Amino acid sequence: MIPISFFLVLSAVLFVIGAYGIMTKKNGLVVLMCIEMMLNAANINLVAFSAFLNDVSGQVFVLVAIAVAAAEVAVGIAILLNLYKTSNTTDVSEINILRW
Amino acid sequence: MTFIEYAWLVPMIPLAAFLIIGFFGNRTPEGGGYIAIVGAVASFVLSLLIAIEVFGGSVATPYVMETPWLKISEDITLNFGIYIDNLAVLMMLFASFISSLIFIYSVGYMSHEGEKKRRYYAEVSLFLTAMLGLVMASNFLEMFIFWEIVGLCSYLLIGFWSFKHPEGDDASDAAASAAKKAFLVTRMGDVCLMAGLFVFLYAFQSLDYAVLFDYTVIQTVDPDMIALGSILLFGGVIGKSAQFPLHDWLPDAMAGPTTVSALIHAATMVKAGVYLVARAYPLFVQSMDVMLVVALIGGFTALFAATMALNNMNLKRVLAYSTLSQLGYMVMALGAGGYVMAHALHSGDVEAVGGYTAGTFHMMNHAFFKALLFLGAGSVIHAVGTEDMRKMGGLGKHMKVTSVTMLIASLSIAGIPLFSGFWSKDLVLEAALEPALEGAGIFWLLYIMGILTALMTAFYMFRLWFMTFRGEEGEASKHCHGESPRCMTVPLMVLAVFALFSGFFILAGFNDLLTFSFVGGAFVVGGHGHSAMYVLEHLALSPYTYLSIVVAVTGIYLAYRMYRVKDVDPGRFNANGESAPYKLLQKRYYFPQIYNAIAMKVTYPVALAVNYFDREAVDGVVNGIAGSITGGSQELRKVQNGLVQTYAAVVVGGVALIVVLLYLAGFLTGGL
Repeated sequence: MIPISFFLVLSAVLFVIGAYGIMTKKNGLVVLMCIEMMLNAANINLVAFSAFLNDVSGQVFVLVAIAVAAAEVAVGIAILLNLYKTSNTTDVSEINILRW
Repeated sequence: MTFIEYAWLVPMIPLAAFLIIGFFGNRTPEGGGYIAIVGAVASFVLSLLIAIEVFGGSVATPYVMETPWLKISEDITLNFGIYIDNLAVLMMLFASFISSLIFIYSVGYMSHEGEKKRRYYAEVSLFLTAMLGLVMASNFLEMFIFWEIVGLCSYLLIGFWSFKHPEGDDASDAAASAAKKAFLVTRMGDVCLMAGLFVFLYAFQSLDYAVLFDYTVIQTVDPDMIALGSILLFGGVIGKSAQFPLHDWLPDAMAGPTTVSALIHAATMVKAGVYLVARAYPLFVQSMDVMLVVALIGGFTALFAATMALNNMNLKRVLAYSTLSQLGYMVMALGAGGYVMAHALHSGDVEAVGGYTAGTFHMMNHAFFKALLFLGAGSVIHAVGTEDMRKMGGLGKHMKVTSVTMLIASLSIAGIPLFSGFWSKDLVLEAALEPALEGAGIFWLLYIMGILTALMTAFYMFRLWFMTFRGEEGEASKHCHGESPRCMTVPLMVLAVFALFSGFFILAGFNDLLTFSFVGGAFVVGGHGHSAMYVLEHLALSPYTYLSIVVAVTGIYLAYRMYRVKDVDPGRFNANGESAPYKLLQKRYYFPQIYNAIAMKVTYPVALAVNYFDREAVDGVVNGIAGSITGGSQELRKVQNGLVQTYAAVVVGGVALIVVLLYLAGFLTGGL
């Protein structure tokens, strides 16, 4: 059996890559993808522990999280589409209309 | 049932009248005048019923009824209630009685005022409420509240014509500034009074009369504190009762309607100061020095004010100076009596002191004859339309009732035997004489001042009477439209009866009712006094009584020669109004200028400095704090720059920081 620490390291690596992407990438679409990556990093953790501890509820959580993430991405992409229509860009570093 | 249980209604009735007139006055006849009369008469009747109980001895005095009002700390509770003894009853009686008569008189006198009558009657009702509340209050704080309401009402009423004066715009400006002057000058005294209250509160931990006048409590308190508090309290009296040097507002206060002058001079306001001295007598008599100051201020005011009345041509001004002078008499009598008492206090019981009886008795008699004089003057002014006595003369033919009642009042104030003023004025002089004969030399000076005042009083009152009612008709007398209406002459006649006979009260019980003595280690108001026979005998056998009669007759005779027969030209003594003393008197010893100079040179710079401090220091701190907060927020809001990536960075950095700190904490505490 693969030790649990392998899963945890994989998850941590994915999470950090995602966080790095969110903070650095300019394209809104890529930022959304990075968010998905971070979510899935967390999902891997949950599933790993679920299998490791023989508890199904971890997998249930993951299924719920995936459903929510799908809805969230739908909303995120809709926002991006509208942004592109109004300001002709998807560069998140240029979009600062919700500021002081 | 006893009526005294309902004593709290006495000030409440005029208060109700005030509210009703204030809201609905213009919907009732005479702008609510009849409501004011009903209110005043009702409180007089109730006062009378209470007086019968109190003077009859069926109620133990002082009658105290109070309820806690403010609890300042565990030890100090301030109460609200009534405190009734003979002194309070006397004040209630004459304040409500004279006010009733003045209100009745006002229906005639103020008949041309139209819509403004509502204001007038509402304010005089409040005035009466405040005065009654003042005399019935059960502690100094409550008294002080009503004291201030009295001041407010006097301000409002003196300035009654400040918008539209019957004599034009200059007169209305004068009324406005007179009102302000009355308010501000008395305020000077009130500040002292309030300081005195703080001293007493500190020393006694209470302001209740019942506690402060208890000799066993007084003994436990530092006598210096009592002396300090008393002298500060007397500062308030100087302001309210217009004693030297805060006297100058009173002559100016003549700018109000004459009925208001009568109210201020006879029934309310200025009597409050004298009342306060009499009320706080147990505290005042703790120090001979305080009482000496009181007596000296009183005596000096009496003489000082009388001189200014000698050559004034304004009918009402002469009466105003005479009020000042008579108030000085009352204060002098109280001071002299208190001096005697303070002297004897530590050697046991003290019999009823003459000064107290004399002061309060003169206060009552003065209320009657001064109300009569002012209402008579108002009747004359109403008829001829001027206050200048040079334009009057010969009015006796046209106004019989007014001239006869005024004559009675003048004889009374001059101190002609059997008229009321004679009895009390003689008691006052005797009160000043008592310590003098016992060896306090300075009271000889006071007695001489008193005698000189008596001479001048007789002179100027008859000068006024002869100039107004006798001699050739002046220019204003020619279009005099006869005697005033009935509602004005009837109060005059009623008051004339009292001015004639109220002196006999001293033989018929006053000597027992209004006394102040120290018996068995307690102060007693209304203890046993001298018998009527003793008083009568004393008056008849004392050579000083005859001296004062001679002085009064001399004064009248001088006035008769100068202003009736006119074979002595008054111009001879003052270079026809050009001599320096004459001008000095006309200019009121330059007191208005002195007040103005003090206001401009002292008060105004202080006010400017205070204003500067307020704007720069007090407001500066507040504005500085507010400014730094808004400025800081202006800078801080820049953090919210709208870039989601920055927010994400902050969140990630924050979480990382927390994790690091947790590890660090765990490492340091050895948990990890």
